[in-house]
Formats: sequence, C-alpha cells, structure tokens
Amino acid sequence: MLRAALVFVVAAVGITAILSMGGTAQAATETEAVTTAATSGGTNLLIQNLFNGIVFGLLLALASVGLSLIYGTTGLSNFAHGEMVTFGAMITYFLATPQAVSFPLLPFEFTVNWPFWLAAPAGIAIATALGWVQDKIIWSQLRRRRVAMIQQMIVSIGLSLALVNFIQWWMGGRPVRLVTSIDPRKQYGPISVGNVTLISMVIAIVALLAVAFFLQRTRLGRATRAVSDNPALASASGIKVDSIIRIVWMMAAGLAALGGILLALYQQGIGFDDGTKLLMMMFAAVTLGGLGHPYGALVGSLIIGVVAEVSTVWLPPDLKFATALGILIIVLLVRPQGILGKAERVG
Amino acid sequence: MNDKPVILDADNLIAGYLPGINILNGCSMEVKEGELIGIIGPNGAGKSTFLKALFGLVPVRDGAVTLGGEDITNLRADELVKRGVGFVPQTNNVFPSLTIEENLEMGAYQAHKNYKKQLARIGDLFPVLIQRKNQRAGSLSGGERQMVAMARALMMDPHVLLLDEPSAGLSPARQDETFVRTREINKTGVTVIMVEQNARRCLQICDRGYVLDQGTSAYTASGQDLLKDPKVIELYLGTLGA
Ligand SMILES: Nc1ncnc2c1ncn2[C@@H]1O[C@H](COP(=O)(O)OP(=O)(O)O)[C@@H](O)[C@H]1O
Ligand SMILES: [Mg+2]
Repeated sequence: MLRAALVFVVAAVGITAILSMGGTAQAATETEAVTTAATSGGTNLLIQNLFNGIVFGLLLALASVGLSLIYGTTGLSNFAHGEMVTFGAMITYFLATPQAVSFPLLPFEFTVNWPFWLAAPAGIAIATALGWVQDKIIWSQLRRRRVAMIQQMIVSIGLSLALVNFIQWWMGGRPVRLVTSIDPRKQYGPISVGNVTLISMVIAIVALLAVAFFLQRTRLGRATRAVSDNPALASASGIKVDSIIRIVWMMAAGLAALGGILLALYQQGIGFDDGTKLLMMMFAAVTLGGLGHPYGALVGSLIIGVVAEVSTVWLPPDLKFATALGILIIVLLVRPQGILGKAERVG
Repeated sequence: MNDKPVILDADNLIAGYLPGINILNGCSMEVKEGELIGIIGPNGAGKSTFLKALFGLVPVRDGAVTLGGEDITNLRADELVKRGVGFVPQTNNVFPSLTIEENLEMGAYQAHKNYKKQLARIGDLFPVLIQRKNQRAGSLSGGERQMVAMARALMMDPHVLLLDEPSAGLSPARQDETFVRTREINKTGVTVIMVEQNARRCLQICDRGYVLDQGTSAYTASGQDLLKDPKVIELYLGTLGA
C-alpha cells in the first residue's frame, strides 16, 4: 500500500515537473478569467475561489473515481486514464460540431452535427464501450497470463502515449469547443457563475451519488467492493471476478468521459492533452483520499480542487497544483494510508 | 464409510505459484462422501497450496482433480462454488472493508434468492454474527474473523468443505469449539477436508488422515492409526503425552 502510494507521489511530482516546463495549461488561463471576474465584482475572492475549487474538485472526482476503482479491483495504476477523459470530450465534439469531421486515414469528410444533448450521452456510451473493448483485448489478457503489476503499469504508460498522440493526430493540436454559445456569468451573492457550470455541478453530484449508491446498495456494487478487498476470496465466494472487473472498466471509462465533457464545458474547450495533464491531479486525489478506497477519490479530489484554487488568493496561480501536491505529501506523512484508507489490523 | 462412493479425487497433482517451481510434486487424495479428512504435515509442506490447487486458486500443471466423477482440474473457484464446494482460506479469509452481513451476502452471491433463508440458518449456528452484523469485518479479532469466514463458506450450503487451519490462532477453548463445530457440520452430511496444525486434535476427530511432506502425500490411514504410528508421533505429535 505504502509502496504504491510512493509510486503515485513520485509519478505525480515527476509529471508536474515535466508539465510546468511546457506551456501553460488551458485550465489555468480560464480560471484566471474567473478570478478576474470575481475581483472586478469587488466581492469576496476567498469564497469565489472556494467555489471554483469545489467545481474543479467535482469534475476531478468524476475523472478519478474510475482510476480508483480500477486500482482497487485490479491493483493497476492506469496511466492511460487521462486519455479516457479527453476521449469522451473529443467524441462528443466529433458528434456535435457543425464543422466537417473525418475518421483518421479515411479520405472523406462529413458532418454529424448532432444536438449537444444527444452527442454527450452518445459520447459517454461510446467511451463506455471502449472501456469494455480495452479490458477485453488488453487488460483481461494480461491478467489471465498473470503479468505482474509493474509490467502492466508500463503497458498503460505506453497506451497513454499512443492515445494522446492518436487524439492529436485525429483532432489536431488546437483546443476544440463542444458548444459554441457562451455561458454568461451571473452573480449570486459573492459567487459569480454561469448556468452551464451550475448544471454541470448538479450532473457531477448526481453521477457521484449514483456511484455511491451502486457500491453501497446494490449486490453488484458490494461484490465490487469485495473484489477490491480480496479477489481470490471473492472468487472463492462464487463471484466471477473477471466480470466484475469488466464492469469496473466500463464504469471507469464512462465516468471519465462524463468528467471530460463537463471539464470541456467548464473551461470552454478541450485540448488533445488536457486529460493527460489532469492525470497527475487524479493520482494525487486518489492517493490523498486513500488508495483503492471507493470514496477516497471523491474526498481527495475535493481537497485537491479547493486547495489548488484557494491557494491562488495568496500564491501565484502557477503554483496552485504544486501547492495541492504539497498538501498531499504532508497528509501522507501524517496518514500514510491516505485520509479514508484504513490501516487494517493484522492477525 | 468405506462403501460410500468417492466424491473428490486428486490424482498426482503437480502445482506451483511461480513458473518452473513446483510446490506440489505428486499429491494424491481420495475422499469418500461424508468423510472428515484431516491433512497434517510440517510448515511449508504445501498443505495450503494443495487446498488451493483443489479449489482452482493455484494452477495445476499435471494430474487431475475430479468431483463426483467430473473433471474439475483448473476450474475457476466460482465454478466450484456452483458445484457445491466451499473453501475457508488460512489467511485473509474475510472482506475487511465489508460488514459481517455483507461478508455473508458475498458467501451466497450465486444463490441470492435463498439469501434470507440461508442467513437465518447460519444465524442459528453463529448467533453472535447476527447481533454484530453491521460491524466491519476488518475490525474483528482473529477468532471472530475465523467465525465469519466459516459462516461465509457455509452460506452456499456446500456438500464439500475445504478448511485451512480453522483453529490457528485461537485460544484452547475456542479451538475445541471449532473442532466440535466442524464435526457437527460433517455429521449433517458435509464432506470436510481440513488442514490442521493441531495434529493430535485433528486426528482424534477425523475419519482418515493424510500426512503431507515436501509436496507429496506421504501416507494415509485412519485417524486412530495415525495417532499410534511411531513416525507420526515422532514427527508431528511430539513424544509428550503420546
Ligand atoms: N503465494 C505464493 N507465492 C509463491 N510461493 C508461495 C505462495 N504461497 C506459498 N508459497 C510457497 O509454497 C510452499 C508451501 O506453502 P504452503 O502451501 O502455504 O505450506 P503449508 O500450508 O503446508 O504451511 C512454501 O515454500 C511457500 O513459501
Ligand atoms: Mg498453510
């Protein structure tokens, strides 16, 4: 457990370092805009940033809950999870844009131009199906051959690189917008927020509650937690472990896609590597909350989101993710198992 | 006992965890319906590995396992549960983050229509588990976990039950309770195969014992005969009180 946590932290810090050398993230620019709006309103900056942090935290939670479920049930740290976030948004763009689109390598162009309310669920459905395909042709094969975790993790890193390059090749290097209309901000007391963001928050909360309901109140969900606890014992109890894991991959992919779509709405566009950049924050959130703990991803994401945004009140915005990772390290020093992770008694 | 049909037959099993390293080097066992079989042997002999190989949790590289005449070699554990085999592992035998009740529910995963009925039946056997059904299994003591593990395995009403050191880590009084309970479960018609460290107590209650050493089943005899066997006394029972 501790070793896995360390791998996550090292990976997260490493990725931060690499990313901070690159260009500025789209997300950063957008949030600065929000901050400016709040300041110009002359209202309480702290409350506005706290609110922005909760919004970002909820979206991060959607993206990372699947990462956590996959880690819990299979032990895999899936480095290709960020691309699942991007992919959901990109498919939705593909279906919704009024502009001509094409499949890679195919010589003809066409327009789909579906309304957003149709394109988004279709995007999530396609992403969910790809979760199934991914587990079917890659991960279940590796598990069946008893390939060790480090090797599987390296496969996922390779897959991540392949996917991010594929998305760039297909969709181009410029960010795309899922909807063209703008979402005007309205003032609610000290908080300024647009309707689309408010609706996104509601959708995120409903989806997260649905996951909690699934894990807690359905037989299949309880079996998922049983597989997380001990796959061999789950099998010995009569649970088809591989079917449960297949369902987890589908859920993870679908939730990541939903997270990606809402993120694209929130930051008014999505680039080919936005999900990839988010991966570090997802790992941090999952580790902070408690690796493999079903609700760890939610708690960790909210803390990371709030700390990152609120820190910009006092610290330069460029440092906000570094601050969030600083919190991660401090929490792990005090609670190595993460916030919700339980130190199981031995014997 | 001897006229009953063979229910479980393991023939010359070769099995192991890591490629190229065999832990079992030709393990055989023949169990008749309704028998209570004890397996004893030194630490690291492969007793746990043997049970796991029977139950599809360790790959069998050679040899065959049959259940009621049907070949079950390398079948997945959940398939064996479907065929009426139950297994209580030696360690990690509960789901720590699930409540006691959820643990029992998982035991009846394939027969959830009968869940309530089974829960009532198991509740009569282990009333304390029902009183504490909402407690997380991870917070239980070793003895309590053993109880949850046994109850979970009984939820499917198995007709063959594999137990790996059910008395390990229990106080002497609790150990006695476990042996008595095992015998009672066996009397209801369940075939029981039990691995035990407490060789003397195990051989006293079992119909037949197997001695396992270095991954091979060295020999078998009735429990009473093994208790009198000078070699078994020397190696596994100690001379005191023999
Ligand atoms: N999961 C495992 N992976 C690799 N080797 C194992 C594993 N479990 C047990 N072994 C090895 O198998 C041998 C037999 O172990 P085991 O079957 O647990 O013995 P016993 O139950 O008789 O004490 C030991 O040498 C042990 O080190
Ligand atoms: Mg053992």
